[in-house]
Amino acid sequence: MTAEHEQLHCGVELEALVIQVTDSQPPVEPAHQNNCPYCQSALRGLRQGWGTVQSLTREPVPIPPRLTAQIMARVRTLARYVADSILLGHPRGETRISHTVLGQVIQRIACSVPGVVFASAKPIPHDPPEPARLSVAIRLVVAFGPAIETLTHTVRHVIDRRVPTLTGAQLSRIDITIEDIAELAD
Amino acid sequence: MILQVNDRILLQAAQDGDLDAFEALVRRHQAAVYRVAFRMLGSEVDAQDATQDTFVRAWRGLERFRRESAVSTWLYRIVTRRCLDVISARRPIEDLQIERDAGVDPADTAEQRERLRAVTRAIAGLPGEQRAALVLREFEGLSYDQLADVLNTSVPAVKGRIHRARLAVLKQTTAWR
Repeated sequence: MTAEHEQLHCGVELEALVIQVTDSQPPVEPAHQNNCPYCQSALRGLRQGWGTVQSLTREPVPIPPRLTAQIMARVRTLARYVADSILLGHPRGETRISHTVLGQVIQRIACSVPGVVFASAKPIPHDPPEPARLSVAIRLVVAFGPAIETLTHTVRHVIDRRVPTLTGAQLSRIDITIEDIAELAD
Repeated sequence: MILQVNDRILLQAAQDGDLDAFEALVRRHQAAVYRVAFRMLGSEVDAQDATQDTFVRAWRGLERFRRESAVSTWLYRIVTRRCLDVISARRPIEDLQIERDAGVDPADTAEQRERLRAVTRAIAGLPGEQRAALVLREFEGLSYDQLADVLNTSVPAVKGRIHRARLAVLKQTTAWR
């Protein structure tokens, strides 16, 4: 007899009672079950056991406090290996700024514009590559209210003005996609 | 602000190399990923490692994510595979040596704590695939369709695994005879 076909002394299969308890199914033989002490006893035990399983599912599982930092440290290390970069020439050496850093700078500048809820930026190198010149694709989530065309004009203007100052990179194109509109909470 | 942005947009941004967007996804989903790892592996240290590995694999696989499924489903799939790898690499005795009070609230009564420990031990004794199905169904509340997607199998196969897992846990932890 396999574990799934064990029977009570009355001949009822344990499996049928487990299905009844865990899936809230009606009994297969209600008349027998109502009058059978073996079935009644087994049902009491199974209901208590299933109740304990349900209790365990509700037990909180605290998240280790530094988990996010540990994950992101590994991801940032990984990202540094794969990042492209721009090259700023200098008589006494060269400076490379990774596209990841450039993207973060542009993203922060875009987010500083009132009405921008979320921004992400992807630097796009020229083909063929130019050391300090590139384009950028920006995705925005904007607040409902301000005129979108005016908002994108402001974002483009601020990025065009501040990115060369902060990074030395020259932007040929700034493509903006509005991905979503958000209602701002009061 | 970033908390208002939906997964799809964060994921697209992360695919473009935006680490802040990826970190937002980590913050949003790490609790569920860690919970699954902890319930499957029964150890805080192993669950932390599996959670970290899950997000590192997710980062590496961002380009391949095609958005047919939700981000949460994708992450459940990665963490489940990682945990199954850990379980299969363990010797059986190691697998049963779960932390004594793994996920048991000290505020519970002694009798209830002992019952909860017994269930935890019974879950740790399940074969990996049954354990995964039970944890995702009972602890995370996934539907049978979602489970089939995460476990890369059919709905009837998922139902079979859950049924066998429930039966094994209840047989071990209750006085049914």
